[in-house]
Amino acid sequence: MTGKENFFWIFYGLVLLGLFLLSSTDLIIKEEEAGIYPISVIVGDTTDDQYVNFRKGMERAAIELNGDVSFITLYEKGSARQQREMILREQEDGSQALIVDPVEEGMIAQIRQESRASIPLILINAKPGEAWELENAVSITFDYHGMGRRLGEEVLKEYGAQERVCLLEAESPNGADLLFLQGFCEAMEEEGGLVRTLSCGRGSGTEAFLEEVAQGGPEKAVLVAQDPEGLIWAAQLLAETKEAADLVEGLYGRGNTVSALNYLDKGIVQGLCVTDDFSAGYLSVKAAVELAQNRVVKDTGFLESGYIRREDLRDEKYEKMLYPIE
Amino acid sequence: MRNMRKCYIRLSSLFLCAALLLTGCAAAEKKDEKNSIRIGVSLYRGDDTFINNIRGELEKCAKDYEQEMGVKVSMDIQDAKGSQNTQNNQVERFLSLGCDVLCINPVDRTAASVIIDKAMAAEIPVVFFNRQPVEEDMDRWDQLYYVEAAAKESAVLQGSIVVDRYRESPESLDQNGDGVVSYVLLEGESSHQDSLIRTEWSVQTLKDGGVPIEKITGGIANWERSQASALMEQWLEKYPGQIELIVCNNDDMALGAIDAMERAEISGISVVGIDGTTPGLEAVESGRLMGTVSCDKERYAGAIFHIAVSGALGREIPPEIELEEGKYYRCPQYIVIKNHQK
Repeated sequence: MTGKENFFWIFYGLVLLGLFLLSSTDLIIKEEEAGIYPISVIVGDTTDDQYVNFRKGMERAAIELNGDVSFITLYEKGSARQQREMILREQEDGSQALIVDPVEEGMIAQIRQESRASIPLILINAKPGEAWELENAVSITFDYHGMGRRLGEEVLKEYGAQERVCLLEAESPNGADLLFLQGFCEAMEEEGGLVRTLSCGRGSGTEAFLEEVAQGGPEKAVLVAQDPEGLIWAAQLLAETKEAADLVEGLYGRGNTVSALNYLDKGIVQGLCVTDDFSAGYLSVKAAVELAQNRVVKDTGFLESGYIRREDLRDEKYEKMLYPIE
Repeated sequence: MRNMRKCYIRLSSLFLCAALLLTGCAAAEKKDEKNSIRIGVSLYRGDDTFINNIRGELEKCAKDYEQEMGVKVSMDIQDAKGSQNTQNNQVERFLSLGCDVLCINPVDRTAASVIIDKAMAAEIPVVFFNRQPVEEDMDRWDQLYYVEAAAKESAVLQGSIVVDRYRESPESLDQNGDGVVSYVLLEGESSHQDSLIRTEWSVQTLKDGGVPIEKITGGIANWERSQASALMEQWLEKYPGQIELIVCNNDDMALGAIDAMERAEISGISVVGIDGTTPGLEAVESGRLMGTVSCDKERYAGAIFHIAVSGALGREIPPEIELEEGKYYRCPQYIVIKNHQK
């Protein structure tokens, strides 16, 4: 074998070795390690019934962005103490970001101050200003005030400013419920529309509730529910009790659940304010991962919402929003 | 020189023993100290009413346990949407995220071996429920469990609802008075062992109970309300005035049949279901459904949860959960008819 041949074989061997090291080992090219980001979502409810589309969006983002998302509900609906405990527990357990639907306004700032932690925080359904005051926090929300206003305008358009509108208040209103009600009342007041707040809530029983609705006079009432749970309760009552259906001409509110949409489809609910919860879930987890990576998160502003009637259910725009494909 | 070598060997053995002991202690300590459990749950289809009821109960169990024991329980519940492939991916994700135990409602009972392979490799126990993997798969490992409401028992109880009614008042079932109860049958998925067993034994119970029956037709509605409703609509048109009884493999399909009857403004046909789902029980209460067979869902979900927790913590399964052959739990069932639970 000549020297040239020897050189060739050695060179050939080295090339093979180099290729092996390049492709099969971490010695030359280090494979980028995909970090997994533990994220905790803490809501103010005991079930995820109102968060179905939100969860779909959240899970999609978790798969795409390597998020390890835990969805946490409370033992008792609307309990600020429990939510506070959960936030502290998740912080201690190593969550790299928290997504919180706060039960009480201002409570997050207080927790932050006390625990002195600045774990990335995404506030959902809170007043947009609440996140601005906090370090390492962003807000993903809808214009609930605007939604309330829109509903008020629609009700006025339909029935005029008569004293027929009855308000079914939320049992334990959160920030979104309060803003929604504020917007609705503002729109009604501006046009001289009167709103009668019912003192009998869901807990008072059907009879007491119907009695109070009937006190409004001979004309049929128009019911407006402040929160999604109230809307479902009222819709169920109208569907099952003839007496209730005879007293009420229209039912309005907000909500995205399948049962709310079914009631709209059946004509029991006349108008519904809806939100793009899938996007809210997706963007929340995306923002959480970005904050955990110490990246700057762009302000999303208010996410898309709308007012729909029965005929809009099959509209392509709303179909995508209300029945998202995972 | 020789003594030196002996000394080295003794010293190394001593170190080895010490290291082994320390590792063992650390592992034991780790197991005892566990103050959080992570459970991965995959459902064959999240929109199935019975499965949804079980899911709700599972979440309740997790919360109760958390409050009672002070152990954090993270439950990751995923919907496989009827795809075994999706379910396999979910299992892979659960394992990569460090779940301590898996609770699986298989999409395809014959494909459970893939899940079992993955779980065995990761040494993670699996609690299957609602759809029984084949026996050969269940026998592969002692950390595999199965929770169900026995299909034969459900079917026999369903049949006895009709038998009892027939004995009480035959004319309420045999409405045209021809001496025969003409029935249609709505079945679940053809690949699901429960639908085969439920069909076979409910009809057998009717025969054994002395109810003169005649099958008009039957169809597979895959446990779904909408499919059952569509089939029933066709049958009501095709066999007007002939159907006297509708036997359904589950409540969702029974409600679908009732939907079709209500649309066609037909009444008087008796419908029986199985599962005791929330809407099913409401339909019994309102008199639209003649009866259903319910299992104690709290107990069903409780069994899944406590077996899972025991597996995750490496503890013995609580004695109140009586396992057959050390791996099968069969949830007790009862009949529900209007104003009655038997």
